[in-house]
Amino acid sequence: MDFELTPEEKAFQKEIREFLDKECNENVVAETLSMEGEGPYSKELLRKMGANRLLTPRWPVEYGGRGMGAMAEAIKVDEINSHHAPFPLDGVEVGNALLICGNEEQKKRFLPGIARGDIEFALGYSEPDAGSDVASVQLRAVEDRDEFILNGQKIYNTEAHFSDYHWLLTRTDPSAEKKHRGLSLFMVDLKSPGITIRPLITSAGLRTNEVFYEDVRVPKENMVGEKNGGWTVIMNALYGGGGGGGLATGTKRVIDTLVKYALEEKQDADENQWIPETMAGLYIRTHVGELMGLRATAFADLNVSPPYGGGGAVSRLLGGDTRRLLYNTAMQILGPYGQLAKDSKWVPLNGEILREYMDAPRWTIVHGSQEIQKLVIATRGLGLPRR
Amino acid sequence: MDPRLSEEQEILRKSARDFLTEKCPKSLVREMENDEKGYSPQLWQEIAALGWTGLVFPEKYGGGGMSFLDLSILLEEMGRVLFPGPFFSTVLLGGLPILDIGSEEQKEKYLPEIISGKAIFTMALTEASGKYTASSVKAKATADNGNYVINGTKLFIPDAHVADYFLCVARTDDKAKSEDGITIFIVDAKSPGISKTVLKTIARDKQCEVVFKDVKVPRENILGKLNQVWGEVQKIIERAAIAKCCEMLGGMEVVLDMTVAYVKERIQFDVPVGVFQAIQHHCVYMLVDVEGSRATAYEAAWRVSTGRPYSSEAAITKAWVSDAYQRVVALGTQSHGGVSIMEDHDMPLYYRRAKAAELTFGDARFHRKTVARKLGFEVA
Repeated sequence: MDFELTPEEKAFQKEIREFLDKECNENVVAETLSMEGEGPYSKELLRKMGANRLLTPRWPVEYGGRGMGAMAEAIKVDEINSHHAPFPLDGVEVGNALLICGNEEQKKRFLPGIARGDIEFALGYSEPDAGSDVASVQLRAVEDRDEFILNGQKIYNTEAHFSDYHWLLTRTDPSAEKKHRGLSLFMVDLKSPGITIRPLITSAGLRTNEVFYEDVRVPKENMVGEKNGGWTVIMNALYGGGGGGGLATGTKRVIDTLVKYALEEKQDADENQWIPETMAGLYIRTHVGELMGLRATAFADLNVSPPYGGGGAVSRLLGGDTRRLLYNTAMQILGPYGQLAKDSKWVPLNGEILREYMDAPRWTIVHGSQEIQKLVIATRGLGLPRR
Repeated sequence: MDPRLSEEQEILRKSARDFLTEKCPKSLVREMENDEKGYSPQLWQEIAALGWTGLVFPEKYGGGGMSFLDLSILLEEMGRVLFPGPFFSTVLLGGLPILDIGSEEQKEKYLPEIISGKAIFTMALTEASGKYTASSVKAKATADNGNYVINGTKLFIPDAHVADYFLCVARTDDKAKSEDGITIFIVDAKSPGISKTVLKTIARDKQCEVVFKDVKVPRENILGKLNQVWGEVQKIIERAAIAKCCEMLGGMEVVLDMTVAYVKERIQFDVPVGVFQAIQHHCVYMLVDVEGSRATAYEAAWRVSTGRPYSSEAAITKAWVSDAYQRVVALGTQSHGGVSIMEDHDMPLYYRRAKAAELTFGDARFHRKTVARKLGFEVA
């Protein structure tokens, strides 16, 4: 047993940290915090990261990666988060699935571009009537010689307005006996005629989108995996990455900031005596989540199933709740000042706490709600019977 | 990073599990709850013969020369079966402190007795306040012709009724500030002036009141430095807290396992109740707590094992695991329903021990305060 990063991982951590310390400037941070999606500064930074092979450390060298493990990926995510750098998660996830399900031509065409920071993908799974029940998607793909014709609607496709390609789950067989056996996955150029992207804004101000398809043509060679084999592809995209993230440098930094704030502003008053123990509880929770995630990630790198098959999904359950608890507590510490928005007179800590508090519910919903995660853990991990 | 146990550790785990499954069934656990001694001397000799009492001590004293992490794995297995007896007291609160700060003479005298299973040790630390703080140590040891005389009452002392020796923590200088006047004495339990009363506890685990009345202790029985040993006592408590968490982890695993097994076979509304998401979510949250506790307990034990500082990790771990074990027994009980609140069910055995373990070596609140101090807060 060993809880230290390897020398190679430490060197990678140092490299990406120093790189982002220098390159992730205030313009980039402003774009990230604006919640409007990537702008020109973000794009420039992604390309610089790509040129240094910092975006996809886990991929093979021939596709622009470094041939490292899930731990390097966790290190990257941690540094991106703690620096407020842009986070091209979707592209990485798409690439992970392409590595497993794509053909050689597709890998060569897309992976190096993603790794360089040139090509960005937006996930296209959810529809108005297919959320947690993603196998219910209705966006129709009809074969027409060497193309498919697409018609339908996607929703909550957060990166669609600045991405190059859509990673699109479609229905190719409406009469399939099991609905998840009638799905196919396409990579669609988002500039294709017939695509309309309309903004949707979350209560936190985050830009996401609904995307409409009207007789959009996509070449057959852009289909990933088999026709009607789309379910396998998205399972690999969702779970193929393995690992559980882990490092929580950004969260621990927020806790430090709050501790400092509480020590400066709140120390004397009797009614604030709850703060130290509560903050300690959140620090402990963060630390435990970090260790769980690191263990899951290390298991993924060893290709060994963790106890109860739980792995990263289990640590993410804890982590999602931690974020909500942390920002709720943070708001309580700030008291009436917590309600003040960025740019308001008297706003504390640049309004960052309010922004994160408003955004917190998203994290227990996106990418498979916690309830779906629990269903998966209960049935696959613990072997409980299905309905 | 490598989350796996070594091959030797896997072997240790398997042999411990096999042995304990056979030798420590719940019938023994129940019998020992009502037994005067609270443990089986025959089983004690068997585990000594297996090398468990000596596992963590250097080979030069006759021990197994294995690591603290190895010991933690053994404790996890003991926690699974609720192994009754003075193993924890003897090794964590007796042997390891002697190994840490004892003179060579003391090590040569006492460690072989511990390793062979001949001597049972415990630490007489806590008093009426029930707290693990320096200011709570009020028992006095007064110098008297080169020897010391101890007077005071120790409370919640595990296994004192069968101990051969106490490591008695006493105040030797009451003018200094509370951390600076404390000394540990190795006290022969047969010394005149010692009286013991077994307390009736929730876990029926033989915690005792020990009264020291004019108990004479020779000067050479001072363990470590005179007056300046509180830092060492804290280390002993922190390490014991980590070890206790490993034991608790074992208990949590069993509660999860038996709950999952039960909800797969218990039929209500014509289906196994494990089909229901209410029950599934209970089980998943139990798993989150088991795996979170495993991650933090193993990391802390690994730190002890590899000579890294572990003070913060001890506090984090004991705070987390204390609460987690409570949640696990609560959800396990709820998922079982009525059957598991019956006295003859195994669940109450774990339910009762989860609370006892939470309270020992500082509860979650105590340790959260420690973490708060480490974050920079001033906490009383």
